[in-house]
Amino acid sequence: MPHNMDTTRTPCEDDWRLGVDIGGTFTDFQLMNTRSGEVVALKTPSTPDDPSLAVARGLEDITRRHGIDPSAIRYFAHGTTLAVNTLLERKGACTGVLMSRGFTDTLELRRLRLSKANDFFVPRPVPLVPRRLVRPVDERLKSDGEVITPLRREDVEEQVRALLEEGVETIAVCFLHAYRNPHHEQMARQWITESFPQVYVTASTDVWPQQREYERALVSVINAYVGGRMEAYFTTLEKRTRDLAMPCRVFSTKSNGGVMTAATAARRPVETLLSGPASGVIGARHVASSIGDDHVVTLDMGGTSVDVSIIQGAIGQATDNTIGDIPVIMPAVDVSAVGAGGGSIAWTDSEGVLKVGPRSAGARPGPACYGRGGTQPTVTDAYLVAGIIAEDSLLDGTMVLEPALADAAIDRLAAVIGRTRSETADAILQVTTANIYAQLLPLTARRGIDTTGFSMLAYGAAGPTQAFMLARELDMRRIIVPPAPGTLCALGCLVADFRADFVQSVWRDLDTLSDQDLGDTYAGLETRARAWMEEQDAGVADVHVLRSADLCHIGQSYEINVPFPDVASLSTEDLNRWFLERYQKVYGYHDPHAPVRMLEARLQIVGVTPSPPVFSRPAGDGGRARGVRRVHEAGDVVEAHVWRREDLRQGETYPGPLVIEQYDTTTWVPPGFVAAIDDFGNLIGERA
Amino acid sequence: MDDPVRLEILLNRFQAIVDEMAGVISRTAHTVFVKETQDYGSVLVSRSGEVFAAPRRYGVLMMIGMPMAGALERIGDDVGEGDIFISNDPDATRGMATHLSDVYLWAPIHVDGALLCWAWTFIHVSDIGGRVPGSIAPSSHEIIQEGLRIPPQKLYRGGVINQPLLDMILANCRTPEGNWGDMKACLAGLATAERRVRQLAGHYGREVIDITIDEALNYAEAQARRVIAHVPDGSYRYTDYIEADMVGLGLVRIHVTLTVAGDDMLLDFTGTAPQVRAALNIPTYNQDGHWMLITGLVNWMCTQAPAIAYNAGLVRPLRVTIPKGTILNPEPGAACGARYSTSHKVCDVTVGALAQAVPMELPATDSGQGSILLVSVPDLETGGTKVSVIQPIVGGSGGRPVADGVDGTMVILNFLKNIPTEIFENEMPEILIRHYGLREDSGGPGRYRGGTGIEIEIETSSHYTSITSRCMERYVFGPPGRLGGHMGATGYTRLNPGTPLERDLGKIDVLELGPGDVLRIGTQGGGGFGDPLERPEANVAVDVMNGVVHRTSAECHYGVVLGDDGVINAAATSDRRQAIRAQRGWQDPPLYGFGEARETWSALWTDDLEDAISEATQGLPLQLRQFVHQQLIEEIRKRLEGGEAVPPACVLDLLATLDVRWRR
Repeated sequence: MPHNMDTTRTPCEDDWRLGVDIGGTFTDFQLMNTRSGEVVALKTPSTPDDPSLAVARGLEDITRRHGIDPSAIRYFAHGTTLAVNTLLERKGACTGVLMSRGFTDTLELRRLRLSKANDFFVPRPVPLVPRRLVRPVDERLKSDGEVITPLRREDVEEQVRALLEEGVETIAVCFLHAYRNPHHEQMARQWITESFPQVYVTASTDVWPQQREYERALVSVINAYVGGRMEAYFTTLEKRTRDLAMPCRVFSTKSNGGVMTAATAARRPVETLLSGPASGVIGARHVASSIGDDHVVTLDMGGTSVDVSIIQGAIGQATDNTIGDIPVIMPAVDVSAVGAGGGSIAWTDSEGVLKVGPRSAGARPGPACYGRGGTQPTVTDAYLVAGIIAEDSLLDGTMVLEPALADAAIDRLAAVIGRTRSETADAILQVTTANIYAQLLPLTARRGIDTTGFSMLAYGAAGPTQAFMLARELDMRRIIVPPAPGTLCALGCLVADFRADFVQSVWRDLDTLSDQDLGDTYAGLETRARAWMEEQDAGVADVHVLRSADLCHIGQSYEINVPFPDVASLSTEDLNRWFLERYQKVYGYHDPHAPVRMLEARLQIVGVTPSPPVFSRPAGDGGRARGVRRVHEAGDVVEAHVWRREDLRQGETYPGPLVIEQYDTTTWVPPGFVAAIDDFGNLIGERA
Repeated sequence: MDDPVRLEILLNRFQAIVDEMAGVISRTAHTVFVKETQDYGSVLVSRSGEVFAAPRRYGVLMMIGMPMAGALERIGDDVGEGDIFISNDPDATRGMATHLSDVYLWAPIHVDGALLCWAWTFIHVSDIGGRVPGSIAPSSHEIIQEGLRIPPQKLYRGGVINQPLLDMILANCRTPEGNWGDMKACLAGLATAERRVRQLAGHYGREVIDITIDEALNYAEAQARRVIAHVPDGSYRYTDYIEADMVGLGLVRIHVTLTVAGDDMLLDFTGTAPQVRAALNIPTYNQDGHWMLITGLVNWMCTQAPAIAYNAGLVRPLRVTIPKGTILNPEPGAACGARYSTSHKVCDVTVGALAQAVPMELPATDSGQGSILLVSVPDLETGGTKVSVIQPIVGGSGGRPVADGVDGTMVILNFLKNIPTEIFENEMPEILIRHYGLREDSGGPGRYRGGTGIEIEIETSSHYTSITSRCMERYVFGPPGRLGGHMGATGYTRLNPGTPLERDLGKIDVLELGPGDVLRIGTQGGGGFGDPLERPEANVAVDVMNGVVHRTSAECHYGVVLGDDGVINAAATSDRRQAIRAQRGWQDPPLYGFGEARETWSALWTDDLEDAISEATQGLPLQLRQFVHQQLIEEIRKRLEGGEAVPPACVLDLLATLDVRWRR
């Protein structure tokens, strides 16, 4: 991987940062001028067979439309769904696995639990690597890391040779208790590299040395599975940006909401799996914090999914993430799916009750009104029929909808439920809102928050269309629609910090752990973290580390993550006290005498990307409403003024009902709400 | 139906409330039962005692069939705002609670001064007293041994706690803080429900909510009836046995006659064994649609109609008849702590019976074992004992009409999670797990193969190592196959395998091990579904390549002959399949593949004979019945084994001769 491309980092008049988010349908761009804070957004169709092609095309488009020369782009971070799609579509490399003898079925057994509880026909989980390609190695460690059976080179080589004969291209190595003593794994990796230099090898402790053999093995298996494709992709992308004379390196977004160099990403692609939704939340937090709001529920609604995340000051992190039925234990921004998006299909069941989803028309054929062969009524068709979205307002009129097809699809349903066409559309939207509500509320309960004290920040193509209807049911105080909600993930890419997580499993009772051991553990983590930051060569001035520990009472089977302050000398006594304080906060009581166990030591390093100045948009000239439309919603028919977003004037308050159209979305402001544009161009909705 | 759109909206809102309750409970509670086995529940209940909203993803999912009416009847009219009720007593609630470890808390929700509905929760507490820590032991033979009984009463009256009652309860548990923490979690869940229901009633009006509660129940009932209505009318019988040899009771018969008439379903358990002097009884109080009887049927409905409304309306068409004094409807005071394996067997017999009517809608039988393997070793530091769970010991699921069974776990009871070896060995370094994997070649052969069981091998380095396991099952009769599919492998337990000291232990209850001892357990494979000769050859070859089916099985069960390179030998396969077809002597596949052990058994112990035994003992006084039943079985066994015929008509006479003998 070329490393030496940022030779021309000299200040210059025009200095842009570029964020790109490559999605399944569209590749989104946002550019931000680091001096003025000015932002430019663009969407271009994705090119799934060669994803970096769309990046090159988009850049050419930006030069043409906005006169920004690629040579003025000094920073380029992007997110790609390549790794996650490779995994979901099971199109990765032919991977072989070496595991300790006796445990080669770890991937088959998983953690046993299945995805659906009362379905006789629940799908069989299919492991990423077939059973025959997981081979045993005679080696064994005890739980304290002591060697019971030593590793032999001939054994490793024999097993690898057997795998190569089966056609294996990449190899993952995961041995029992390697988090405690990585020596066997490291030796195995070294021997494989020496004897079979053409093979891509990942050892579990290289990527994520956390206790729990299934989840850790998966981390190394996924890495080996998607690694080859990612490496090739980054090479192509870097070549394309070089050809366009972009004087900057390529950075990749991460599941934890941070960025890393393409070189690091090619080695640790498993860290990019959930980067798409993470970038959106980073973008949302950037927007919210620029207006001083730190209690936000983000709502990202697109064609195929509705994702939410909760920001309370900090962004929530989760370690129990899943992709399909595959758990990923590395920390990621906590994003939950709560529905199926604008493509969700409306239908009636055997008793004539109206249902929406979970089946979706997806991107292909998509809603009926897309005219791509879809005939089933979807949520998007309901927006159109209800009068909320117009046939020709999206993407500067380049994406025209076909109302007749939506009408026909909805009419079939209307006949069944005995309502008029527009009443049916309205009913679909009410049920959609109720569906999302029913999934969102339990999530907030699990996190112990009450949504009434929160704002909702809406993005994605349909987020602003749906947000007010949902916020009304959730009794939320305000709705924020950023200037370019359709490309918020791309904004997230360009404002993200450098961020990496490190873990070391400890699993010791606090009273058997010395302060010295504790200090050494975190010092070891910090050494790895500093080396990582060094490798990024990020040129960030502000670097800090966040330490935390996973602790539990002995005999309890779940842990609490306890972040703690940066103190010069760490003591187990402090750790014990912080744990009890946190326990009190979560459970309302604590037992000071119950012994405490330390499970994981965690450390996150952050290289803070300097915040660009916040761009105050020039006041709009205060155009006029473009017209009036009849909207059927919540059982009423109202006359709504239709505005172009760029015509709304700062400082003025616009009462609902209101339809606000823009390049990448349409915002529906129902009666009872007012909308205003703030100094930064955000649309702020509040109760009238 | 008043308004099908409003109904769907409010169904979602009800769902949000019960899921939010579950979220509050799971966040606030913190004991192992809640976090790992999801053993808690939260529902909304109509004034008449029917569950009208229940979670589908969190906690115990079968609460829709919990009969609440008995508890409501018991508390009567003295119900005011701010009251919260408590009970864990199966007898006083007439089958709502089914063992003492489940503590129920419920609260009335008043709107505009009148009762609108109830919020209801339960949580499996870690200990409720009794003779053993954790309160549950299969060998307990009366409920008094299983802990403290709390008949329905008010824990709070008008928002004021009944402190003496609480103190009394907690004083009788081994884990008072944990229990109170869990109960507080339920209280928080109840408060959430009350707030949300009131909000909803404020928005839509009390009247609308009231009507919609009825509509929601009627709606689910209509859907359930539609599913049942497509089943051909008729009576379908099925028998299986609980292997209670662990507690010295031999094979305990569970028998059902499932009658479908239009859109009604009657489950008649006449012929089921008398209640037992062990903790295996289920106090159902003969309640229609009781949740411990209908798991299989509700799963079938949910599989047939995935979007079906999930509330007590689903169980309205399921009526039950269970003679008093049987293991499924014991007299008050019966021990019931370990009733789970009985419930799983009931699931197997209801599914087995229904399969006669709609075979393509149901899986073959799964491993039927949901055992938790525990180990204890002396704690040299404290002088006490260390206890830890090694693994849940479950087996494979049955083959399905659409797909193979799942390897290593069942489709029912699939929420159990295993424990990482790396965590277990840190917890208990005295024990080394030598092997934990799929049990090769254990899945019942079939067009759709049964899931494989699992194998685990452990070695101890400590003296006085004690292994306990409850609910081991299917070591005698393997999981039956379906429609030509074969039986899955039975379970086994072996001590020191491959050494001169090797012993086959069968099911274990408590087992003492010493340093160097190795214990190996293999769980059952699921039954196969459909004719194995119709399984595509390529699938068999892949299974062989992956080692989950052995080459010899491929040849003798699937008729697939592979070369040394793993490539299918087409000619030999065709010959082999033809030879097997010719040999097996049936054209249409038999519905059940019971396997040899069960067929030998059933040839002697015919359904008619067992029905006659059951009938003969049914009228006896409770205390005598279990004894007489055992004696009668013993007497008949002697005769059958001696080659003597025992016609069902002679059973009464036989009983009379025994009677004479006792009275002497």
